[in-house]
Amino acid sequence: MEQKRRIRYIISFLILILGIGLFFVLNICIGSVKISLSDVLSSFTGKEVGETVRSIIMNIRFPRTAAVFILGGALALSGYLLQTFFHNPIAGPFVLGISSGAKMCVALLMVFLLGHSVKMNSASLILAAFFGSMISMGFVLLMTRKIHSMSMLVVCGVMIGYICSAITEIIITFASDADIVNLHNWSRGSFSGMTWDQVKVMAVVVAAAFVVVFLLSKQLDAYNLGDSYAKNMGVNVSFLRIMIVILSGVLSACIVAFAGPISFVGVAAPHLIKKMFGTVKPILMIPACFLGGSLFCLFCDLLARNLFAPSELNISTVTAIFGAPVVIVILQSGKREKKR
Amino acid sequence: MSGYYFKADGLSVGYNGMPVVSKLDFGIEKGKILSLIGPNGAGKSTVLKSIARQLSVVAGCVYLDDANLLEMSAKEVSTKMAVLLTERLRGEMMTCGDVVGTGRYPYTGYFGVLGEEDKRAVKNAMELVKVADLMDRDFSEISDGQRQRVMLARAIAQDPEIIILDEPTSFLDIRHKLEFLSVVEKMKEEKNVTVIMSMHELDLAGKISDRILCLKGEYADRFGTPEEVMEKEYIRELFGIDEEMKAFAEQKGIKII
Repeated sequence: MEQKRRIRYIISFLILILGIGLFFVLNICIGSVKISLSDVLSSFTGKEVGETVRSIIMNIRFPRTAAVFILGGALALSGYLLQTFFHNPIAGPFVLGISSGAKMCVALLMVFLLGHSVKMNSASLILAAFFGSMISMGFVLLMTRKIHSMSMLVVCGVMIGYICSAITEIIITFASDADIVNLHNWSRGSFSGMTWDQVKVMAVVVAAAFVVVFLLSKQLDAYNLGDSYAKNMGVNVSFLRIMIVILSGVLSACIVAFAGPISFVGVAAPHLIKKMFGTVKPILMIPACFLGGSLFCLFCDLLARNLFAPSELNISTVTAIFGAPVVIVILQSGKREKKR
Repeated sequence: MSGYYFKADGLSVGYNGMPVVSKLDFGIEKGKILSLIGPNGAGKSTVLKSIARQLSVVAGCVYLDDANLLEMSAKEVSTKMAVLLTERLRGEMMTCGDVVGTGRYPYTGYFGVLGEEDKRAVKNAMELVKVADLMDRDFSEISDGQRQRVMLARAIAQDPEIIILDEPTSFLDIRHKLEFLSVVEKMKEEKNVTVIMSMHELDLAGKISDRILCLKGEYADRFGTPEEVMEKEYIRELFGIDEEMKAFAEQKGIKII
């Protein structure tokens, strides 16, 4: 049994890693300009390639793909943390309105800074997004004091999301014309236009958050059993809760600051990973969810860029098509369990 | 009050600083069983939760082996005390072996990976409770009786000195009640574990316990050996059984204790 499980974990990890490798390459090769695999390899090894091709790879596709990899993983990890926190499989940064809260604050900051013609930097965007996600999270937490049903929690989260989106729309309406194009694209979620500087910042933030989450894996394992059992095992439950809220906030803030709100990955990826591995052990789930989210987003971004080329779809459009059905499946299986 | 392994001294318990049960004085020697009995809502669970440090105590002290339990570190408590509460353990996608394995949590390293010794402890605990055959079964697919025993195995795997059980037998049929209590008895005999539990089955509580604490709303009523406590008249009074109910019970030949 144990042997069998170990083999299943190893195979699952292999599938994830190979899948990511495959889609990473596909994302770099496929696009409005087709690039052959040999060109990609030679531009990495520093051999002679055409300047345009090299520029497309090194300045556009590669940073974008790296960003999709990092943020996709962050998204799934953030969703996993929220699901653990609420003991609720359909919790996630988008579903609970946390992304929208972050979006609202980032939009406010953008309009304000652009109005004063100050250049935005990554740190201020992340801070604004973190602030916004904490506001939404605060509202969600206030409501969970009165609401315990899993679907009601989500309904409340969606409402918070709508309120924040409405405020964002108002802000955008009052923004000067030149800003709107920029804001509009971002507020629907997109990975386009990532620069290496942005990738560096998000890599540092997400890596730091990932390490902290991983260090908490034993405590999360105990927390999964329920509050009183976690307490009995010596876990400081209130401290752990605060840590989960902050970490999931940092992760969603990072995503929103760079790519805007992206729907459903945070719910779908952890669920699929759970089914794939057949376990909820955090020590496996944390790295696996990260990889799963990355793979999911690499796949979706490839479609978003190429399905109706030359025009590009919003990333959320694609993630919703693949992610929302997963949520429906979870809701149905949740009902079945309650009846039993 | 010397000789007690576990001792409550002027203990008041409740929620948000409002006492539900006040001024409890009781204790139990090492390797003995203490049962809490009393009507629904008398505060049995509240007392157990407070002893298990799930709830903050309103007033008074609790001692474990003459050390103040309330001031011990969470880690220290976790190696001395195991609990089996009415709150269901969320065993999502876990086998019974995994669930019992969580009992080893206080002893594992930073990432909580079970070592050889932990695996042996899990196996021994499951054999003691006779659930070794459930090792690879999904925890959510077993019966209530099996689940309670797996949970007991989990508590044993934690290698505690004292176990807190909140109504452990309430949803079990008579065979599983007996089976469960026989394991509790065996634990007490073989491992010298102290047990504090709440029970609704007065007849069983009277037979298996060394001491009984009667809770009757707001305060503790009697505390003593089963012989001292289990008087017919007194039990009727404790549970508020009036003349009419008494007559009905006698007419139908229902034994209250």
